[in-house]
Amino acid sequence: MMNAIQIPESTASREVIVSIGHLNKSFGAFHVLKDVDLDVGRGEVVVIIGASGSGKSTLIRCVNGLEMYQSGRLTVDGFSMPTVADRAIGGEKELAMIRKGVGMVFQQFNLFPHMSAIDNVAIAPIRVRGRKPDEARANALRLLERVGLRDHAHKLPAQLSGGQQQRVAIARSLAMEPHIMLFDEPTSALDPEMVGEVLDVMRELAREGMTMMIVTHEMGFAREVADRVVYIDHGRILEIGTPAEIFDRPTHERTKTFLSRVLRH
Amino acid sequence: MTTLAARWVHRNLFAKPFDAALSLVIIPLLAWAVYAFGHWALVEAHWQVVGGSFKVLLTGIYPADQLWRAWFSVATLCAMFGAGLGLSVRPARAAMVAVASVAILIAAGVAAAIDVRSGLLTAGSAALGIAAWVGAHRSGVDQRIVLSGLLAGVVAIFVVLSPPGFEVWGGLLLSVVLTIAVSILTLPFGILLALGRQSRITSLRVISTAYIETMRSVPLILVVYWIWIIVPLLAPDTSVPGLLRGMAGFALFFAAYVAEYVRSGLQAVPRGQIEAARSLAMSTWTLNVDIVLPQALRVVVPSLVGQILDIFNGATLVFIIGLTDFLRAGQMILADPQNSGRAYEVYVFLFAVYLAIGGAITYASRRLEAHLARGS
Repeated sequence: MMNAIQIPESTASREVIVSIGHLNKSFGAFHVLKDVDLDVGRGEVVVIIGASGSGKSTLIRCVNGLEMYQSGRLTVDGFSMPTVADRAIGGEKELAMIRKGVGMVFQQFNLFPHMSAIDNVAIAPIRVRGRKPDEARANALRLLERVGLRDHAHKLPAQLSGGQQQRVAIARSLAMEPHIMLFDEPTSALDPEMVGEVLDVMRELAREGMTMMIVTHEMGFAREVADRVVYIDHGRILEIGTPAEIFDRPTHERTKTFLSRVLRH
Repeated sequence: MTTLAARWVHRNLFAKPFDAALSLVIIPLLAWAVYAFGHWALVEAHWQVVGGSFKVLLTGIYPADQLWRAWFSVATLCAMFGAGLGLSVRPARAAMVAVASVAILIAAGVAAAIDVRSGLLTAGSAALGIAAWVGAHRSGVDQRIVLSGLLAGVVAIFVVLSPPGFEVWGGLLLSVVLTIAVSILTLPFGILLALGRQSRITSLRVISTAYIETMRSVPLILVVYWIWIIVPLLAPDTSVPGLLRGMAGFALFFAAYVAEYVRSGLQAVPRGQIEAARSLAMSTWTLNVDIVLPQALRVVVPSLVGQILDIFNGATLVFIIGLTDFLRAGQMILADPQNSGRAYEVYVFLFAVYLAIGGAITYASRRLEAHLARGS
């Protein structure tokens, strides 16, 4: 066991919003997350890096309950996330409470294809928060303006480029006024020329103080916006530190190997 | 022009020796068949048997002094069909001219066979349908309003037709109303069954699966007959009209098939859609109603429209519980001794009407498929 992980106390001054302790998760016999410990403070931007299959997506998917975990502790916004055993007998209420405060942006955008951009953004506030349709749509229009898509509000997702779809998806999450946003490789499915527009929106969010957990392969972006960078390897957190610590002075051999591979080009 | 025609003939009929041989056999055979049928239809056949029995063929034993109720239904159906058409098909001039000519032909036929008043009523109903088509398309009215209008139309037809009693409904009217009512009834029931089959709640899943598989493994006629005899057992003090019992049997049977279509549609909705809805804290109800079902139903609309044809053709089986549908009405006419020997005329007429309606439904299903494929 490698327990000598140095956790920088940058969270000490902040209120902890996501607290993960000894989290274990497996898909059948495959142990995906092993004894993961991670606290995220309010307003903090945490970027999670690691090779594909290392469990980084699974980790953030646990934070809004899209994946269930077997043992350990996971609290979000003070609510305790139900485990596999809890979910078998209920736990839907806690799950819904947590999800109302957690936004998620997916690699494949996952916009609702049968609704226009504005309806994609307005539907959850109307159906989940019980907002009046007019208010929700007015707010949706403001959010679309914020991500630079006001003129595309009435288009269907199929009529938008990948970068535009991903920005609508971000606006859709923001419409629920989340306390924390999860990004699961938000630019991996985009053509290179569209990556910038999505990262710009995320940069803006970080500047406004949104708490964010981001899984990405954009190392330059990670170095720029992250308060802390987490390196995951085979389901275990090997290293946590400031971007400078991780990118310039990695302590683990495996971190060095990984970074030399992804930073070479 | 002639060279063009010659080239077409050469390429399509006489391209190779085998094609030529086949064409030489089939074309004369076909020509002879068309000539023989045409000669019979125009010279030998006595169409008075059909013209004189129009009332029975179309409405069965519905009281003659109450026929305005049937006319109301025809007009409402035309308007409903037009409004539904307006949602997906643009009323292009050519299409409207084609529809109007067919309507005028039918109206003229009706006028000749029965009386001028009936012909005018037919023409009026068709005009109403075309107006609804153009109106629904031009006004760009919301789909939901049109769909509620269609439901209201069905209810109105039932309310207007029912006073003389369900026992007197018959003929083509019975077949059409039964088909429409059953098509609508199966939809919610089938959707619930499909969702039940996917439910995480074991008892729901087992019951839904058992229901669907049972219905799919027995014949329609058995279910219809079985419901017909079991309703009086379950409710001995009330007399449920045979028509309603028949409808219940049809709806219970076809709901299982709707459930299977809907299930295939549910499976076509990507997992990411459900995850996105979940991540927005949507409840299972909202997730199904707003996100999953609209996408799933879109995929299966052509199959569901195709199933309307199955229901319409299956409606011929209601004679087993003593109802007089279109086919049975034809047989009733032939049972009259003065019409003996006119079986060909009656059956050719039945065949033509079934073919026209079935063809229209098949065409609609195919158009919807193309329309939906383009939209996605």
